[in-house]
Amino acid sequence: MAETGTIALYLALVLSVYGAFGSVLGRLRSSPQLLDSARYAVYMVPMILAVATFSLVMSFLRHDFRVEYVAAHSNLAMNPEYTWVAIYAGNAGSLLYIAFTLSLMVAIMVALAPKAITHSLPYTITILMAIVTFFIGVMVALANPFDTLSFTPPDGQGINPLLTHPGMFIHPPLLMTGLAAVSIPFAIAVGSLISGRSPDGWVDVGRVWALVVWAMLGTGVLLGAWWAYTILGWGGYWAWDPIENVALMPWLALTASVHSLMVQKRRGMFRMWNIVLVNIAFTLSLFGIFINRGGPVPSVHSFGASTLGWVFLGFLGVSVLFSFGVFAFRYNSMRSAASLDSMLSREAAFLVNNLLLLGVAFVTLWGVVFPLISQMFRGVTVTVAAPFYNQVNGPLLLALIFLMGVGPLLPWRHATATTLRRAIQTPGIVAIVTVGLLLAAGISKPFALVAFGLCAFVVAGIVREWVHGTLVRHRRGENYLAAFGGLIAANRPRYGGYVAHLAIVVLALGVAGSSFYGTQRDIIMGPGDEETVGKYTIRFEGVRTETRADRIEFFNDVTVSQDGGEVMGMTAWRAFYPDLRMAATRAAIRSTPVEDLYIVSSESLEDGRVAFRILVNPLVWWMWLAGPLLLLGTLVALWPQRSLAGSPASTGRADGNIAAAPFGPD
Amino acid sequence: MHSMSQIHRRFQPGRLFSIVALAAVAMLGTACLTQGTSPTLEERAQEIGRSLMCPVCPGETIEQSQAELAKQMRAIVREKLASGETRQEVLDFFVDRYNEDVLAAPPKSGFNLVAWGIPVLGIAAAMATLALVLRGMRRNTIGVSVAKEGATVEADLEPYLARVDLELERVLRGDDGAPGGVPPSA
Repeated sequence: MAETGTIALYLALVLSVYGAFGSVLGRLRSSPQLLDSARYAVYMVPMILAVATFSLVMSFLRHDFRVEYVAAHSNLAMNPEYTWVAIYAGNAGSLLYIAFTLSLMVAIMVALAPKAITHSLPYTITILMAIVTFFIGVMVALANPFDTLSFTPPDGQGINPLLTHPGMFIHPPLLMTGLAAVSIPFAIAVGSLISGRSPDGWVDVGRVWALVVWAMLGTGVLLGAWWAYTILGWGGYWAWDPIENVALMPWLALTASVHSLMVQKRRGMFRMWNIVLVNIAFTLSLFGIFINRGGPVPSVHSFGASTLGWVFLGFLGVSVLFSFGVFAFRYNSMRSAASLDSMLSREAAFLVNNLLLLGVAFVTLWGVVFPLISQMFRGVTVTVAAPFYNQVNGPLLLALIFLMGVGPLLPWRHATATTLRRAIQTPGIVAIVTVGLLLAAGISKPFALVAFGLCAFVVAGIVREWVHGTLVRHRRGENYLAAFGGLIAANRPRYGGYVAHLAIVVLALGVAGSSFYGTQRDIIMGPGDEETVGKYTIRFEGVRTETRADRIEFFNDVTVSQDGGEVMGMTAWRAFYPDLRMAATRAAIRSTPVEDLYIVSSESLEDGRVAFRILVNPLVWWMWLAGPLLLLGTLVALWPQRSLAGSPASTGRADGNIAAAPFGPD
Repeated sequence: MHSMSQIHRRFQPGRLFSIVALAAVAMLGTACLTQGTSPTLEERAQEIGRSLMCPVCPGETIEQSQAELAKQMRAIVREKLASGETRQEVLDFFVDRYNEDVLAAPPKSGFNLVAWGIPVLGIAAAMATLALVLRGMRRNTIGVSVAKEGATVEADLEPYLARVDLELERVLRGDDGAPGGVPPSA
């Protein structure tokens, strides 16, 4: 199977190179035949890479340890379902995975490309196929997953036990594909820029793909947080680790982009800025892949570290130069069709939102690179971790939440003092009342109060919009359900956006609750011992052990009673892998909307006692709602509307939000 | 900054509102803080634990890590706090032993001020640039009329503002007379 895989890689390399050159030459020579054949090459690449991926899967399933990669990332004891995880557990395999999924998404994008980007599509294809070529080329030249050993070892080294978690089935693939796929909105934008035809033609399809990639990255990051929370055993979900940061940064830039693109879509403004934004997102995503694949920064997530990073850094440099070149070349084609009417308008709010989002991304990037700078200038290594980001990014994120509450309530073009006051009156009162109630309940940390107050502000603003809109339609004779459905159908980007905003609010709730009011205790208990943590009384019942082929599992049973009543059993799981000399834990978590009780067994002592870490994390339950809400919001925003043809942006007049929005069959 | 003050005058009610809100939050917050209890030794120890990296486990603080060394360091932190040492003294003790990178964030002194200063300066510069750009964009649009009194501007813009309000109403209603939508009211 390994030979099949290698052959498939070379074939895919040839085809992707052909697709890249064929497409641009076909466009320049106006040859439809060449353009068609290049497009077929685009469709062929994912098919052939699927063959390569399939042969890697087969090598794993057959325990073909002659293949170096299989020997390094699996063993006979591994459950077959973790083959899927093993594929991307190392560098070579993850490159194959990235190349396959990226080429697949590119093929889908090309197949679905609307007429509006016909003129720029060949350039877009060339850029994307160049990127696919790069990934396949690195694989073939430097990290071939099908490289074989000169002998066949009897067993493999096994997979990293931290990776054998359900979250690992979706989180790394989403992030890897997401990071690579930022190239799609980038290529759409830059392709349009090169072709120099209509400056707004790319906006609709570019926004769709930016949103898709944005949702992938967002969900991937949230799943990673969930994975860390349940498996790493320190009771947290986000540590501002470099690897986490590099996934966050392109997401932030894309968040700015999907907002700002709406302004171009509606008003034909910010043309240049939008191109800059997707460029920033793309550069940050390449930076992310660079750090992920063996960059110079230490991280808890260095699962597939190597020195390949420098190849990616080189690619990053070339991409940045290319983007700058195109930008300079077409500088004049990006003038806005309209100008800003007022500082007090949704356009202006979007610009400030962009600034804050990029600010957070910049601070994060700075935190990642500062240790290198310090090393370079002083020769002293420093660490930039959570305390830095919390202090610098914390206020920026609070400001963003505030803006998230105000921005959508402002009308396009211009708001009067009256409309503004009317818009923020109710949410403002709700926020102040909330803060008052929290104070009465004994919540007194100022930052927590501000955070909760702002959350209430945003939610009240959204609910007010929904209720008000529904009531207006209801008064015109629709029943409440139809009125609400019609309201959302009438402007899906807007109402999808509200759902995504709610996702951010629940995320903020969880973060504020757990970081300001989380408590933690380390205790050592023997069987039969009892300890009280807050309102919980925890009794250690004893440990059951099970010996497996590659590990010893410890089931530490505890019973927990709350305020003297309601007794329940929980089990904190821990396993020791003698061959790898590694331990893995799975926390026992009792999650309620109020708080999580989180019990992890960190160590089994020789005298039979067990060291437990017990945390009470308020409001974390809400955080995990953010992922589904984010996806729901994206779906609502992306659900196809029947007539988006034409270019509402190019009219530049006050054509409203919803001019081109006939209702679906509701 | 003549035109900026113009804009501010138009902001008045919104600004007043946010000032009141902020003041309410600030007053209540500080009122509570002053009567709040000071943190316990354990809370202080955990805060210090989150500010110190575990030297043998990349990317983890001693509060997070389960490594033996981290456990010992946690014990030392508590011992030192119990014997009356301050936060800074405890941190200094570990910096002496394990170098500066044992701190989870660079101290706000010396060369490390760059780490903290650049984000603040960068964001301030970006905001200033944005304000200038927005001002430029606005001046191009409204031109001369902006230079007049605020009331005049309001009057000049009245028809537009009315239209905007109408628009907002339509957006909230979500129909805008689109085909297949809700029949317009009689």
